[in-house]
Amino acid sequence: MTSVIEIKDYTWRYLHTESPALNSINLTIEEGSFVGIIGPNGAGKTTLAYSVDGLIPGQYNGIKKGTVKIFGKEVESYKKGELQQVVGVVFSDPEAQFTAMTVEDELVFGMENIGLTIPEIRERLEWVTELTGLSDLLLKPPYEISGGQKQRVALAAVLAMKPKLLILDEPTSMLDPVSRKKIFEVLKILKTEEDNTIVVIEHSLENLVPLADQMILMADSEIILQDRTKDFFKESGLLLEKGVYPPGALHFFHELSNQGLYRGEYPLTVEQGKDLLRQLIQ
Amino acid sequence: MTEKSPYIQIKDLGFSYPDGTEALKDISFEIQEGEFIALIGQNGSGKTTLSKCLNGLYKPTTGDIIVDGLNTKEGSIVQMVKRVGYVFQNPDHQLFNNTCWDEIAYGPRNIELPDEEVEERVEEAIAVVGLPKYTHQEHPFFLSKGLRQRVAIASILALRPQVIIVDEPTTGQDVKQSLEIMNFLQELNEKHEHTIIIITHDMPIVGIYAKRVIAMAQARIMADGLTRDVFTKADVLEKTFLAPPQITQLAQADPSLGFNPGTLTVDEMVDQFKELTK
Repeated sequence: MTSVIEIKDYTWRYLHTESPALNSINLTIEEGSFVGIIGPNGAGKTTLAYSVDGLIPGQYNGIKKGTVKIFGKEVESYKKGELQQVVGVVFSDPEAQFTAMTVEDELVFGMENIGLTIPEIRERLEWVTELTGLSDLLLKPPYEISGGQKQRVALAAVLAMKPKLLILDEPTSMLDPVSRKKIFEVLKILKTEEDNTIVVIEHSLENLVPLADQMILMADSEIILQDRTKDFFKESGLLLEKGVYPPGALHFFHELSNQGLYRGEYPLTVEQGKDLLRQLIQ
Repeated sequence: MTEKSPYIQIKDLGFSYPDGTEALKDISFEIQEGEFIALIGQNGSGKTTLSKCLNGLYKPTTGDIIVDGLNTKEGSIVQMVKRVGYVFQNPDHQLFNNTCWDEIAYGPRNIELPDEEVEERVEEAIAVVGLPKYTHQEHPFFLSKGLRQRVAIASILALRPQVIIVDEPTTGQDVKQSLEIMNFLQELNEKHEHTIIIITHDMPIVGIYAKRVIAMAQARIMADGLTRDVFTKADVLEKTFLAPPQITQLAQADPSLGFNPGTLTVDEMVDQFKELTK
C-alpha cells in the first residue's frame, strides 16, 4: 500500500513565536483510510493541515525541521499548484476561501483553474451539487447564504477538484445536527465509493467516530495518541484529561467502567450502545 | 395579580425581509426574568432573525414585541440596548475598536453616559468576564477566539441589559472552552440574575445548561417547553431537523429497558443504570 502522508521528525515554528506549533511529529497515513484528528484548540491541528497541503512552508514564514512527504514526494519538490491538485483542504471558516459572486461560479472556479474541459466541468458540477444538495442555491451570492450552506459550498468546491487526499478542518462547526449528519453521509459515500483518503479535524465526535478507521489525539503541539478507533477510546481517561469528550454513549460506558460496573469494548454508535445495555440489564 | 408579568411578550409576530422572504410567522410566547433558554432549529429557521427582533434591531412586520412595558416599534436605541443585548455569532462582526478597553467602552459612551460611569461599567464588565490585564490595551484581533468572544460579551454587559442573547457561543470552541463560556453564562444567570438566551446547535450543551427549549422550523415555533420534555418529542424534533443529545438517544433507544426518555447527562444515565441493575 502507498503512504499518502509520511511525516518524519517534523517540527515547525512560526516566525516570531517562542515555541514550535508542531513538535517532533511522526505520522504515516495509508491510501484509502479515514482518519479523525481531535484535540483542544491551539494543539496544532490546523498547522498540520497547512503542512500537508503546502501552505506551510510556502505561504508562512517559519523554521522547519524534518520531512513531510505526500505520495512519496516532499511538499517542497512539488511544482507550484501541483500539490493542490492532489490535496484538497476545506477550511473551518468557509468565507476565507470564497472568491466568486455566485455559488455556481465558486464551484466552477477551481475546476477552470486546473484546466478542465467544459463538458468535464459540467459533469462534475452536476455530481457535486447533487451530492451536497446545493441545486437551489447555485445562482445565489455565497455571502448571502446561511453559515451552514456556506460550509456545504466550501466542501463542494473542493470535492469538485476530486483531490485524492481530502482534509476537512472542522467542516461542520456551524451546522445544525441534521446538516452535520448530511456532510458525514457525503464523506461516507466518498469513503466507500470513491476511494479517497480523508482526514477530518473535528470537535464534535458523534458522526466522526463511526466512520473513522483510526483516530489521532493532538495536544501541546504533539501527537499524543494514535490508534485504531476502537482501541483509541480505551484511553478515554486521557482524552477527558485533555478536554476531549467522547460521544455520549461511549462516554457513558467509560463512566460505568470507571466505577467498576462494566468491562468490555466501548460502543461507537447509539445502536451498539443499545445492544450492550440489553445484554447488561435483561 | 401576584404573579410577576413577563419581561418579554411576543404577540403574533411576523417578519419579512425587504425582498419578501417571510423569516418569522405567527410567533407568540413570553419570557420571564431570570430564565435560561436555548433557541434551537435548523440553519435558516429564523433563530437569528427572532433575536434581532427581540433587541429592536428589526421591527416586526406584523404583531408586537413588548419588552419590559416598551413596544420595540416605539423604543429608541438607547432604551432597547438597556433591555436586550445581542452578542453576534462571529465576534469579529461586532468588534471594531483598537483596544479591548475602547471596544467595551463604546456602547456606554454611545448612550452618552458621563466618563466616570463609562469607566466604572467597563471595569465591572471586564471583571465579570475575567479578561486578563494584558488584554485591556491590546487590539481585539490579536486575541484568541475565546477571548474575543469574552470581549464581545463584555461590551454588551457594559450596557447592563436585563436579557443577554448569545448567538452560537460554542461554535469553533473546543469542549473545555465551551464549558468555560457556558459556566460563565450560567453564573450571569444565577448570580447576576440576567435572562440568558443562547442560540445553538450543540445539543449536549443544551441538555446540560438550558432549562427551557424553544425549537424553530421554517419561520415558526414547533415546540416550547422544559428541555427534558422537548427532547422526548420525537415527532416534533424530526420536523425541526434536530436530534436530542446522544446520551438522550441512548436512554430512548429501547423503552423496555426502563431509562427515563428525558435523560440529559451521562451522570443521570449512570445513576439510573445503578438503580436498574440493583
